[in-house]
Amino acid sequence: MSSRKGRKDAARVVREQLARERRRKRTLWVSVAAVLVLVIAGGIGWSLYSSQRSDEFTAPPGANDAGTGIVYGSGPVTIDLYEDYLCPACAQFQQASGDTIDQLADEGKARVVFHPVAYLNRFSTTEYPTRASAASGCAAAGGKFREFTEVLFERQPPEGGAQLSNDQLIDIGVELGLNRDSFGSCVRDGTYLPWTEHVTEEASRANITGTPTILVNGQPVADRSPEGIRAAVEAAS
Amino acid sequence: MSVTLPSTRTPRWPAVRPWIGIAARLGLAAVWLLAGASKVGDLAASGRAVNAYQIFPYDVATVIGAALPFVELALGVLLLLGLATRLTAGVSAALLVVFIAGIVSAWSRGLAIDCGCFGSGGQLAEGQAPSYLPEILRDLGFLALAGFLLIWPRTPFSVDGWLTGDPAVEDEDE
Repeated sequence: MSSRKGRKDAARVVREQLARERRRKRTLWVSVAAVLVLVIAGGIGWSLYSSQRSDEFTAPPGANDAGTGIVYGSGPVTIDLYEDYLCPACAQFQQASGDTIDQLADEGKARVVFHPVAYLNRFSTTEYPTRASAASGCAAAGGKFREFTEVLFERQPPEGGAQLSNDQLIDIGVELGLNRDSFGSCVRDGTYLPWTEHVTEEASRANITGTPTILVNGQPVADRSPEGIRAAVEAAS
Repeated sequence: MSVTLPSTRTPRWPAVRPWIGIAARLGLAAVWLLAGASKVGDLAASGRAVNAYQIFPYDVATVIGAALPFVELALGVLLLLGLATRLTAGVSAALLVVFIAGIVSAWSRGLAIDCGCFGSGGQLAEGQAPSYLPEILRDLGFLALAGFLLIWPRTPFSVDGWLTGDPAVEDEDE
């Protein structure tokens, strides 16, 4: 009697042990699977980002040697402007100090490098910052970069939504005297989209985290008023 | 007399705990899904948001920025399913601790950035004050959810429960 009960107990203990073992194994495999899911998810993100990047770019005529911006004017002092065509603070800056910068360039006091970065694509359903920047490259090819930039900031559409279409960008270029065929195909084909990506990436690499950022001989300028810019250029020259 | 009081109270915690657990699980799942979804659309911007902390070299920041949104989405899906809940809660807690440390570090170095927790990120526009304290408190709240699931990972309507079976049932196997 008692030995029968003992055998039954022993069998139950073994069964319970096996069940525990099964549970432990199952937990282990589920954990391994979950870790794999997380690692694969991260890998997908990285490979997607890498595949979106283009390796080669052609800088438009008028760009600096590094291909990170369009140069105008010449002078002993270098002013770097990092601006996004969709950034409202950039439009305000252009309105307040754009003329001063142009004068400094034209007076031979400063060499201006304009970096049209595309930081604000998340505020556009059509990647307007990227398209506008690439279109500015087309305008540079036609010798109208400054004029095109000025008009884009004057007619800056609000953040959120679709902003200006490629056709509207082309119309602006044509208004400024650019050739409808060559400028139009440059904008439509996205000839300078890889260049915009290069400009944006190099600006990020240089720790330009916001727009507008104004550097005078590499030093950030906090006072972006016409007087502030002039003072910074005077001090640097 | 004195026995009745605790006896009415003690069964309440086991009865309530699973429902707090599922609320924590689904809440944390929603946090990760929202955080991931707000960043997947612009992986380059996500990399810039990481770079704005000025902790990692730019190239490392872009790798983190590209991978993170997808890891967040995967964590959200795993929590939604209730698969490997304890492990997922542990990874969530670890990530949140890293995020909080990042914000504290940005704050202490006097950077003026948006945490980039739910999209955006990067340097703030002029006149915009960083909101580091609310960001940290919010992340601490999420950390509490993760901590609860780390201690009590078993919640109703989870794949974990379905795979293992209810422990109460399994013990009465005999």
